[in-house]
Amino acid sequence: MRIFRNLIQALKGLGRNKANVFLMTLGVAVGIASLTVIVAIGEGTRAKVLDRIAGFGFGPESFSLYAGSGRLFFRKAQMPTNLSFQDLEDIASLPTVRHAMPRQRKRLIAVYRKNSTSTRIYGVTPVWQTIRAWPITDGKFFDARDMDRKNKAAVLGATPIKNLFPDGEDPLGKSVRIGNVFFKVVGVLEKKGLTESGYDPDNRVLIPISTSVARLTHEAHLHSIKVQAMSPEVVEETMEATRRILRRNHNLSSIAADDFRFVTPTGIMEWVTEQKQAMNRMLILISTVSLLVGGIVIMNIMLVSIRERIHEIGVRRCFGARRLDITQQFLFESVFVSMLGGIVGTVLGVVVSLILKRTDMIPVQITWEPFVLAGIFSGAVGLVFGIQPARKAANWSPEETIR
Amino acid sequence: MSLIHLEDVKKSYSNIGMVTQVLKGVTLKISEGEYVAIIGPSGAGKSTLMAIMGCLGRPTSGSYYLDGEPVDRMNDKQLSRIRNEKIGFVFQAFHLLAGVSAFDNVYLPLVYCQTPPADARIRVREILEKVGLGERMSHSPGKLSGGEQQRVTIARALINQPKIILADEPTGNLDSKNGAEIMEIFDRLNAEGNTIILITHDPKVAARAHRTIHIIDGLIEKDEINENFPEPDPGAERTRA
Repeated sequence: MRIFRNLIQALKGLGRNKANVFLMTLGVAVGIASLTVIVAIGEGTRAKVLDRIAGFGFGPESFSLYAGSGRLFFRKAQMPTNLSFQDLEDIASLPTVRHAMPRQRKRLIAVYRKNSTSTRIYGVTPVWQTIRAWPITDGKFFDARDMDRKNKAAVLGATPIKNLFPDGEDPLGKSVRIGNVFFKVVGVLEKKGLTESGYDPDNRVLIPISTSVARLTHEAHLHSIKVQAMSPEVVEETMEATRRILRRNHNLSSIAADDFRFVTPTGIMEWVTEQKQAMNRMLILISTVSLLVGGIVIMNIMLVSIRERIHEIGVRRCFGARRLDITQQFLFESVFVSMLGGIVGTVLGVVVSLILKRTDMIPVQITWEPFVLAGIFSGAVGLVFGIQPARKAANWSPEETIR
Repeated sequence: MSLIHLEDVKKSYSNIGMVTQVLKGVTLKISEGEYVAIIGPSGAGKSTLMAIMGCLGRPTSGSYYLDGEPVDRMNDKQLSRIRNEKIGFVFQAFHLLAGVSAFDNVYLPLVYCQTPPADARIRVREILEKVGLGERMSHSPGKLSGGEQQRVTIARALINQPKIILADEPTGNLDSKNGAEIMEIFDRLNAEGNTIILITHDPKVAARAHRTIHIIDGLIEKDEINENFPEPDPGAERTRA
């Protein structure tokens, strides 16, 4: 087949022009590498958010209510203090609400003898265990009595257990200092393990919220309220009722924005989708620019290259090469070089992504899409930007090129 | 029937509005098996005539029949096939591909025809051995002497068993010893029945051909038979312009 012969001639031609091949490959490789890294970061961010949602322990009938205006996990004001136990009571008394669980949250150092660890302290009610359905491996969850008496009882996650009792000592009944208060360990949570993005759900300590208010935070406001509705169908209705209660309790005028925010699985999914779309737009822009640059590099070097090889083209024409043969040969050269750049770029991009993943700076996830994209785009770049030089080479008359 | 038949061929080039007429009406017939020298001073139109005869360019007007086919009306695809199958070029400047082995240089015309690769390789090897380069097939032109390079170009010209060998100043870049060797190859090829057209400005080279065509200022001035030359095959018809 004639086309295969031209392909072979193209490969041999590239072998004789290694410096040009190197420069053209580099031009495309940089573009493809950036594309690969951006896709990996995009996927990584998405994965992180998704397993954040999974780790949230939401059912379709639940939603969370956070103090402070803003959206989802992003709070506008620092340390809002407007979510109160009154709000909790009012929400809990709604007919569509099964459970309403208050939460205080604080990051503190926990100490046992010579070992210490930084961990998240959650003040919650015993309902927590019902809502989260998180098994206890040892001991028991604190109960209503502990709540009433503001007992200094703590349920520890697997990470503080590991850090405070490294020798495998039985933690139950031991006295752990959290902040300036000594708590008795009453239960141990089952280990869940790190999520893919590196979030550690086990790094937590649960204490009765009454104890938290009275002895640890000395604050009367809540970090958030978790609401479980009677059924998924009434979630929407319950959220509306909750909004009305809170706006009334907080004395918000009709033009004021909410000073609280809802977090729901659907809200998170919508947000992820929006983020992904924004990311995709940016991705398309950046990769277009970088591939354009790569393509222009190819075109320029090919134009210089055919000038240098005008003599070769003339000789080929003298001995029977058609215009189409010359076009094919040079088009194969540019497509091949471009795809080589695609491969080099993908490898480069994967290496950079892995380095980013290892240094833990940015969530990164490598998927198969960039490989396919790199293949398609690099081939297309070579074709689009190679056609003009190739046709130019073919259109020289053999009589003139041989002079 | 003539192998080459040019009828009132004119060729002009235009450059920034200035039209230069290089060939001003050349009528010429060359039969199969002839050994023709085209001689003339530089600028007389020798190379243009060769380009037209070699199907590298088309005449501005006039007609050209090669082996009975009207070349002046052919498209690029057909012309390329003619160049590939019927014409073997030998150039003064060799025009070998730099950095490519002698073997691959000779192989070049076979890239553009239907010869199966296995046969092609055998043929290339045979022809290189025939021109005395059997030992140097893998050398690139840079590692060959001028005489060896010219022998590679001759091998390349012959590889497709063309009807015509067109040689443009084949000894122009060679010393007298190598030049003589190359001319001997041409003599032998003609004796074997090949049609050879030499373009030269050297009367000594022209004297080896059996027919000399003098070109001056774009026109054939004189077309003569070299008396000393033994008549080749008696059947060959020869027509004068």
